[in-house]
Amino acid sequence: MTFLIQQTLVYTIPLMIVALAGVFAERSGIINIALDGIMIFGSFVGAFAVYLMQKENMLADNTQLMFVIAMICAAAAGAVFSLLLSFSAINLKADQTIGGTALNMLAPAITLLIVKIVSMQDRLSMPKALGFIISNPDIGEGLKPFFDKMFISTYIVIALFIILSIFLYKTKYGLRLRACGEHPQAADSVGINVYRMRYLGTTISGALAGMGGYIYIATIASGTAEGTVAGMGFLALAIMIFGNWKPVGIALGSLLFGLLKCIGATYANLDINGDGVCALKELGLPIYFYNIVPYVVVLLVLAFAAGKSRAPKAEGIPYDKGQR
Amino acid sequence: MSDIIREEAVKTECESPYVIEMIGITKEFPGIIANDNITLQLRRGEIHALLGENGAGKSTLMSVLFGLYQPEKGEIRKNGEVVTIKDPNDANALGIGMVHQHFKLVDVFTVLDNIILGVEPNTAGFLRKKQARERVIELSKTYGLNVDPDALVENITVGMQQRTEILKMLYRDNEILIFDEPTAVLTPQEIDELMAVMRGLAKEGKSILFITHKLNEIMAVADRCSVLRKGKYIGTVNIADTTKEELSNMMVGRDVKFVVDKGEPTPGEVVLEIDKMSVRGSHGKKNAVNDVSLKVREGEIVCIAGIDGNGQTEFVHALTGLVRVDSGSIKLLGEDVTAKSIRYRNTHGMSHIPEDRHKHGLVLDYTLEENMVLQRYFEPKFQKGGFIRFDAVREYAEGLIENFDVRSGQGPVTLSRSMSGGNQQKAIVAREMDREHKLLIAVQPTRGLDVGAIEYIHDQIVSSRDKGTAVLLVSLELDEVMSLSDRILVMYEGEIVGELDPKTTTVQELGLYMSGAKRWGREVQKNEG
Amino acid sequence: MKDKLRSILTVCKNKIKTGSRSLIASAGFKSVISSLLCIAAGILVGFVILLILAITSDKIPVSDAFEGIWIILEGPFASGSAQNIAFVLGDMFFEAAPLLLTGLSVAIAFKTGLFNIGAPGQYLMGAMGSVIVALAIPTTPATAFWVWLLALIVGMLCGMLWGLIPGLFKAFLNVNEVIVCIMSNWIAANVVSWVFSENKQFINTQGGKTAYTLPTTANGVSTPKLGLDKLFPGSNIDIGIFLAIFIAIGIYILMNKTTLGYELKACGHNKNAAKYAGMNEKRNIMLSMAIAGGLAALGASFYYLNGGAELAWNTYGKLPDNGFNGIPVALLASNNPIGVIFSSMFLRFIDKGGYNLAGFTAYNEYVSDLIIAVIIYFAGFSMLIKGMLAKIKIKAKEVPVTETSTETVGSDPVTGAEEVADTPIVEEITKEEEDV
Repeated sequence: MTFLIQQTLVYTIPLMIVALAGVFAERSGIINIALDGIMIFGSFVGAFAVYLMQKENMLADNTQLMFVIAMICAAAAGAVFSLLLSFSAINLKADQTIGGTALNMLAPAITLLIVKIVSMQDRLSMPKALGFIISNPDIGEGLKPFFDKMFISTYIVIALFIILSIFLYKTKYGLRLRACGEHPQAADSVGINVYRMRYLGTTISGALAGMGGYIYIATIASGTAEGTVAGMGFLALAIMIFGNWKPVGIALGSLLFGLLKCIGATYANLDINGDGVCALKELGLPIYFYNIVPYVVVLLVLAFAAGKSRAPKAEGIPYDKGQR
Repeated sequence: MSDIIREEAVKTECESPYVIEMIGITKEFPGIIANDNITLQLRRGEIHALLGENGAGKSTLMSVLFGLYQPEKGEIRKNGEVVTIKDPNDANALGIGMVHQHFKLVDVFTVLDNIILGVEPNTAGFLRKKQARERVIELSKTYGLNVDPDALVENITVGMQQRTEILKMLYRDNEILIFDEPTAVLTPQEIDELMAVMRGLAKEGKSILFITHKLNEIMAVADRCSVLRKGKYIGTVNIADTTKEELSNMMVGRDVKFVVDKGEPTPGEVVLEIDKMSVRGSHGKKNAVNDVSLKVREGEIVCIAGIDGNGQTEFVHALTGLVRVDSGSIKLLGEDVTAKSIRYRNTHGMSHIPEDRHKHGLVLDYTLEENMVLQRYFEPKFQKGGFIRFDAVREYAEGLIENFDVRSGQGPVTLSRSMSGGNQQKAIVAREMDREHKLLIAVQPTRGLDVGAIEYIHDQIVSSRDKGTAVLLVSLELDEVMSLSDRILVMYEGEIVGELDPKTTTVQELGLYMSGAKRWGREVQKNEG
Repeated sequence: MKDKLRSILTVCKNKIKTGSRSLIASAGFKSVISSLLCIAAGILVGFVILLILAITSDKIPVSDAFEGIWIILEGPFASGSAQNIAFVLGDMFFEAAPLLLTGLSVAIAFKTGLFNIGAPGQYLMGAMGSVIVALAIPTTPATAFWVWLLALIVGMLCGMLWGLIPGLFKAFLNVNEVIVCIMSNWIAANVVSWVFSENKQFINTQGGKTAYTLPTTANGVSTPKLGLDKLFPGSNIDIGIFLAIFIAIGIYILMNKTTLGYELKACGHNKNAAKYAGMNEKRNIMLSMAIAGGLAALGASFYYLNGGAELAWNTYGKLPDNGFNGIPVALLASNNPIGVIFSSMFLRFIDKGGYNLAGFTAYNEYVSDLIIAVIIYFAGFSMLIKGMLAKIKIKAKEVPVTETSTETVGSDPVTGAEEVADTPIVEEITKEEEDV
């Protein structure tokens, strides 16, 4: 059980933060199909920061701080990278799907171009990535699922998730941001700068996605930046729609998906009730089956929830100040 | 910056009788002069009407006042002092507020959230809604503007949405209130209420600019009226010294006939027979259309009157096959078509001028000729073996363009999107009139058009009737309802609540039915605020 | 006085512009120009990045940047000896075929208002269908061609089926096709792996490796080459590229000349109007997704039925690039089926340039990916570019119209105001009258 919770969280955390990234962009009115690309770029910059720190032997005794610094670098990189999308979508009123697709192509290209020049191969590894795990083997059994074998990112993401949700619903900036995604003309007519709010939303989105990208490679993908996050960004997009563009829905969606993913990854030695029998393995189904389950479940839930989901009304529509 | 402007303005207060003046405003767009040397002076505490047809330049002028456009020439004065307005914030700082024709409200926000949006009371960014709430309740009591601050905008009536918009201005302490076509969505009784509110506001010292093209309302409520025509300033008159005819002459530039020329109807066979039709509402609560029965005969115009959102849209959609009927039946020329497809109805005598020409009527990215065969491209005349006969389409479109006087930049190959609203509508009318049909369903066929186009379309509908077509007209415009129809059916909350004869009834009577106060000749107790 | 002066001026302007107007006016011309501008901008940005890398990295001499961009622009022609060039060129054509078809797949979906990001999954299903049929049915030299044809068709059907899934969800449940496409991609990736893991007879076990399926030539099945391999010796070229071009032309005719294309596009532009006109918009959504799926799958079928390419069957962790790259191919072509032929070739051309770059300089092949990405970024502005091109046209024709309108002010309300309003910009104003 402990193992299951730990592993579920590992999958849930990056999905959750990146799906929230999607929420911030889309509720301000910008479709961010570039989440995947921004994750890739963030993962690269985060890994590069670690690579440099390890090469220069900085913070060798404080790996947690190193991890956090890398997260911040990744977030900053994601934010900057997302400006490309904001600029094209907001200022030039370009098609947001095309802009996002371009970013999705640009990120792996830049990443691999530089990675290959730096490391002479198609990947950049963080050799001591495993040192990032916080181990508390002596902690009580009841607390183990939440405090043993954890990454510091888990706590940071949960805290950020709560803070940003409050920001979205309880502050004037959140109110304005949501207004821009629903009815930018209304927002403009009361003196809100729609462009600025959309930049804000997309930049927060970029920062979160960049951070999520780094968390993904550091906690799931064996600590290498190789110009891919295995479609996690697109999955997060799906989770966002699944969660109806709301933080609570997203949290639930990513937990569900994380759990199913985790079962898929670990079913062979998953012993839920601790009786020494790995029940799922006994079933004899191949790994592919478990890989498929999360996607099928999401599809089924969508099918049943169809019609209830409601995208921000103005998302994807460029706002032109002159036309009200 | 805007604060400084305001301070200066306050200093010179009371020196000028005008609270806002727009002097010599000229605004050009490539290829058109939208405002040509326009002057508008608003006195403190007056209700000033701004009259003009669609496209006369009213909206451009207001956009200039709100800083959305910078004029090429001219200046704006507040209390006699020249001011610069660069964006809506500046306008707001000068105390200018506006109720837009299409409300600027966020559907999924509460009334309160919409009112405070942009001027949110907060501590360190965190919303403080409690005090805002008290203030809104107080304001709504003072001015008799009843709203529920915690209701979602998407769930409240149009009237309450409008009150929310007025409260938005009052919450911001605006002293210059602009109402843009505020009565389009209201019943005659609601209009009376609004007029009373406007008079009350003026009495409190607010200055009101009332944009409209409805002469009766101007005569009823305004002190003065300025008229625009085709971007030019025509003049300003005192309402006490003028007549409706003079105003309409100023607006259109010629005499306007207030009645449609039409002879007596000669109803024949029943073309459309609807029996106890019900359609479920989109939110699943109530039937959007409930138990509606009616007949339309050849050679008569039957009009469905009612306030927007009382089931007319759903009714037409069910009738034309766009949504499914839940119970009841539809007979077209004696044949039950309740379960038939849209195409079947289209090809068996039903023509439909839809309510929303952009949503349903046209594929805007198609050319004019492609749109002309939207329901006919599959006919042998226009295709052979699955391949479209473009020459035949061209020929046909050219004929329609000629006959119905549809004007466009490049004729049949003009992209529909680039055509003016009036010509887009004419194209749809041409297409629907030319198709073989016995029943014409025309929903708000003249919405947003200028007087010339309206007269043209009305004439087309009447001549179609005289040729023996059964016409079902759905309209929100009372003038249109009264002048065009041979019989009026009033729809209220999805039900037909009365049948009236336009020759014997009055607008007031019609209004009582439209607001649900009367049903089939009987008064109904009203329990809504 | 002023008016007179203006009218004279516009008449002059008009006369100058008349000649070029019709050419600039044509939509196709505008698309081509804007695509070329995007490509130029992409190459320029690529060059700047090469320079920056050269200046900041001590591993790369600055002269490499100049040489590098030239190598990319030369594409396959920088491959050295004539023999090498022929070989790389042949492979370029061979590899362009699947890209052309996935590009076509994405383009046709876009044309009908759908974003087919599910091409990778459809591609994989097509690969699976074709490879299995090509390997499972024993052949003789006489029957090999028919098995090849059957494999092609089965592959296409598999892709159509897979494309139908998002179509069904969209049509009947109104679920966003993007999300269903993404899910169906990963499901396809696992299904393919699953099927081959259960059917080891299709897997190439030679040399102890088990990562690939057997080449279809193991069963004597391969796409006819018709001597093209003699023309481009050593390369994998076959008639696939010509069939793909043929299909693109067919799709162009389908979309632009037939009633079906008319319907599909109407649904894409405005599904409400299509429904109003009596078209079956649910059927059309499913149909266009199925066609899109079939095209993407055909891309895979051509690629793997060549015989030279083997399928890395354990695909569950990674989706094929050929699927995703259909998106830039379609975008660069403004979703025009004929344009797709050129844009897919261009992408492969730049690709080959990238590999040559990696061979001859200290840069690597990802430079070409970067350039393509930048081109697509600029393609997002193509509407803007086209708008600017259109403005040249409007200015040429609009002013005289205004002249007539100022003359007729007050004379006739219909002709006067409305004639002015027949240009896009003025439409915005009229629209505003309704909206504000």
